[in-house]
Amino acid sequence: MSTVAAQIQNRKNADQTPVVEYRSIRKQYGEFVAIGSVTARVNKGEVVCLIGPSGSGKSTLLRTTNALEQIQGGELLFDGKPLPASKAGIRQVRQRMGMVFQNFELFPHKTVLENITVGPRTVLKVSEQEARKRAVALLDKVGLADKADKYPANLSGGQQQRVAIARALAMEPEVMLFDEPTSALDPETIGEVLNVMKRLAEEGMTMIVVTHEMTFARRVADWVVVFDRGNIVEQGPAAQIFDNPQAERTRDFLSHLGWDG
Amino acid sequence: MNLDWSVVWQNSGALAQGVLITILLTFCTMLIAIPGGIVLALMRLSSSRILSGISACFVEFFRNVPIILLIYWTFYVLPVFTDISFSPFGTGLLALALNVSAYNSETFRAGINSIRRGQTEAALALGMSHMEAMLKIILPQAARRVLPVLASTWISLFKDTSLVSVIAVGDLAHNALEIRAQSFRVLEILTAMAVIYWVLGYPQAKLVDRIYKKWGVKE
Repeated sequence: MSTVAAQIQNRKNADQTPVVEYRSIRKQYGEFVAIGSVTARVNKGEVVCLIGPSGSGKSTLLRTTNALEQIQGGELLFDGKPLPASKAGIRQVRQRMGMVFQNFELFPHKTVLENITVGPRTVLKVSEQEARKRAVALLDKVGLADKADKYPANLSGGQQQRVAIARALAMEPEVMLFDEPTSALDPETIGEVLNVMKRLAEEGMTMIVVTHEMTFARRVADWVVVFDRGNIVEQGPAAQIFDNPQAERTRDFLSHLGWDG
Repeated sequence: MNLDWSVVWQNSGALAQGVLITILLTFCTMLIAIPGGIVLALMRLSSSRILSGISACFVEFFRNVPIILLIYWTFYVLPVFTDISFSPFGTGLLALALNVSAYNSETFRAGINSIRRGQTEAALALGMSHMEAMLKIILPQAARRVLPVLASTWISLFKDTSLVSVIAVGDLAHNALEIRAQSFRVLEILTAMAVIYWVLGYPQAKLVDRIYKKWGVKE
């Protein structure tokens, strides 16, 4: 039995249909190969962390998940079905995935509350009253109930990112995509964002997280995928990747980050 | 030198009427040219080559023809070719609106391009269509960002309306120049005209500065 098959056997929720499945995904920008051939899966209720050096293709893979990037080869399955080709089909898929960006990308001309209601109002045609009610509850959940009427510019980075998480959750997604959610933050506000993410994981949200926060990955991830130069060098349970890495490249990467278990 | 300012007061009625027409013309032109500019910019940025091409041709034509020529052309040539003729006011309005729409289009296009890609991606990631993302997220930010440019276009337009005096639209410039021709009080009338344009134009510029301070997007 191959190592990969063995790893997948002792995986949490391994019996379930994967929420997201990457099959030999390939992505190129002209001549540059961003992703060579990547195969991985994300099961329901799992937190999967994508780690690796900058430019190794992990963010690109995340962005193919909701079709912000087009793939050139392979197959991407969401909820057992290939990503639709039509624009309307893609929009439907995106409604079911939440995304959090490195630079927050809150809408600066809208208040915190409006940032959270605009998605449900525009896309799901939820009534103003219902959308507000949901937004207030989500703000409470991320600990920012008192900031509803503020503009993003008046919030700290950590607060903005928590609003961005609430904005994504307002669409009641089945999976959350996090693209280096703490990389643009001051060190002292990283913790508040990671705490929100950790709580989300504990509630059973399926999450795909591109991150450089190894402590978070070690503690929260069920499954860790290590990237290097557009390919996966190793994947497995967090305990294996961090305590007993199999690939030379993983050991190098972790030691460069100063990870000593 | 013998100055006689009484000519200004004696003709204050005609001058006031001219001011009214000038303001009305500026206002109506912008009322057409702002939506016009937005539509042209959206066409230019659309993925359709045809729409983009039509918009590019329109803008490059009307931006590069002198307004005064456009005014003459609409007044004298258009009726010959098309059997369509407008009143002098309508002709002036059409010529100015075509020119200012072309300028506004470039202004909005620059504004839309200045909003970083991540904003569109955030909107798309919520499941919005490209059109919804543009109308709800990108355009409102772009509009605020280009407000100072639109303001200077407005001020330019306010003064450029004087060009319609050549086809006898009773605006401030036309009425003032008429009074000058009848009274031979060149210095007094031209000075009064300059003062009136400045007194009307300056507060507009200041007002727009204040609007920008209040509504400009801070990041």
